[in-house]
Amino acid sequence: MNLRRIFLFPARVWMALFFAAPLAIVCGYSFLTRGEYGGVEQPWTFENFTRLADPLYLAILWRSVRIAALATGLCVALGFPLALFIARAGKRRNLYLQLVLLPFWTSFLVRTYAWLFILRDTGLVNTVLQSLHIIDAPLQLLYNEGAVLAGLVYNFLPFFVLPMYATLERLDPALLEAAADLGARPLATLRRVIIPVSMPGIVAGAVLVFIPCLGAYLTPDLLGGGKTVMLGNLVQNQFTTARDWPFGSAASLVLMLASALLLAGLMRSRVRKELM
Amino acid sequence: MKRRELLAALAAAPLAACTRDNRPRLNVYNWSAYIDPAMLARFGRERGVRIRYGTYESNEEMLAKVMTGNSGWDVVFPTHSRLVPMARAGLLAPLRGTRLPSLGNLDARFRAPVWDPDLRLGVPYMWNATGIVYNRAELHRRGTPEPRDWADLWNPALSGRLTMLDDPEDVIGACLQKLGYPFGSTDAGQLAAAKAEAVRQKPLLRAYINAEVRDQLVAGDVLAAQLWSTTASQAIHAEPKLSFAYPAGGFPLYCDCAAILRESARVELAHEFLEFLLLPDVAAANARVGETATANAAARTGVADPVLYPDDATYQRGTWPTALASVDQRYRDRLWTEIKSA
Repeated sequence: MNLRRIFLFPARVWMALFFAAPLAIVCGYSFLTRGEYGGVEQPWTFENFTRLADPLYLAILWRSVRIAALATGLCVALGFPLALFIARAGKRRNLYLQLVLLPFWTSFLVRTYAWLFILRDTGLVNTVLQSLHIIDAPLQLLYNEGAVLAGLVYNFLPFFVLPMYATLERLDPALLEAAADLGARPLATLRRVIIPVSMPGIVAGAVLVFIPCLGAYLTPDLLGGGKTVMLGNLVQNQFTTARDWPFGSAASLVLMLASALLLAGLMRSRVRKELM
Repeated sequence: MKRRELLAALAAAPLAACTRDNRPRLNVYNWSAYIDPAMLARFGRERGVRIRYGTYESNEEMLAKVMTGNSGWDVVFPTHSRLVPMARAGLLAPLRGTRLPSLGNLDARFRAPVWDPDLRLGVPYMWNATGIVYNRAELHRRGTPEPRDWADLWNPALSGRLTMLDDPEDVIGACLQKLGYPFGSTDAGQLAAAKAEAVRQKPLLRAYINAEVRDQLVAGDVLAAQLWSTTASQAIHAEPKLSFAYPAGGFPLYCDCAAILRESARVELAHEFLEFLLLPDVAAANARVGETATANAAARTGVADPVLYPDDATYQRGTWPTALASVDQRYRDRLWTEIKSA
């Protein structure tokens, strides 16, 4: 038993120092008053949380949820067929998995910047379309919600594909044979066998995409041109130009709470039994 | 006895390795790309000191670190409007003019600046203004008049090819000045009107974007942008079809100043460093590397760049923003969030 403690000790210290302690600081800050030029001051207050109930900030929360949900939906739509394809690719599975992971070899920031060069007026897409005489004038592809969605889907797609692949790969072929024996056409097999059986993987992948999308701030900033505010941007702004750390702390706690509630809801649901 | 000696030697070996370099160390925290590395090396060589050099991207980033009063930095470069608040918070060591004999090298505009008339808080280092950069050739081709004032950035002819800075102070300030109000207004009515102007302008905007707009200006994607004169000057060097306008009705000026932190245990050495930065050839090298405007007149001889160094008549139209009080800052942030959410 002591051995177990010894092995757990480093992880415990790590979590206490770099997770629990910072979280406690954020909690503490969220109940304080902003300092004149940044930082926090007494007295203690609930005001930072009541301020968030303002329709202005609720609209930002709603926008974040909507964009994150859209990005998640797109990831599911794109990632499920891809994962199914990889799971059935036989010997080439590992190659395809490596290709899905390839973007992770460069930093998140660099990958997002690359999209600027793809989408801008003199960028790749517009240049190709113009040289093929499909369009006369460049399309405004950058700095709108579509560009933000493209960036989010691109960056978080692997987070969906990997758990989805893990689920589909373990799918018992006997189930598919049984479905075929019973006269199910491929589409019916997909709808009535594969999707229900792999639901835990879909949910796990969707959560892994939805939560980081909800807190995204770099992508909306760079690809949205700062014209839309998501919750992540609001938090970032409070710690920079607005110099309102307590309000930023409160907003980030609400963001964390929203993610935690979502996870808790999933854990309680029937899905959990299937995951276990 | 022998064993004890051996042990002592073993114990002393790593200590010796640590203390080999016992030259004094100066800790300098500056904006990124704001100094010539060769000048840092030269100071270290000439004075026999080591320099630990770090960079930051915003005043807030720097303030967050030094606010503790135990940051380990000696010299920082806050923007002029942050000097008084920092001094009030007890963060700055007062400068001693007698230790800075080369203060006379400063441009006359910076020898007694409004924010620090006796130069007790910081030595003016580099400065710039916010104005309008535009694609002269393309606007001419389209028959769109060249922008001369903030109001020209509301021209529908620029729709989709126009950007504003991603900075509440500059955007709300430009809207206020467009309406003829002061850049740093705290009047609720004036601010509400300014916000309405920003919301009215938003459909024309491609983006709220800072220095990254430079590439898109050079590529011709963006035809007009609210931008800092230094970034604009860099873009103009890359693409001569671009021009810069200092808005007719007024514009903000910013000056980054070298200041010594109160927590510093090397105030003497820090003064030597500030004096070193004032030397004409050092200041000239730093301005060249940073592609910025130096506050040092002696360093500037022979440089005639109307973008970086506006003439006196133009300069007189500029204002030096002051730091906003907490309550005003909070109101502005709310307006900014409303503008961004509109």
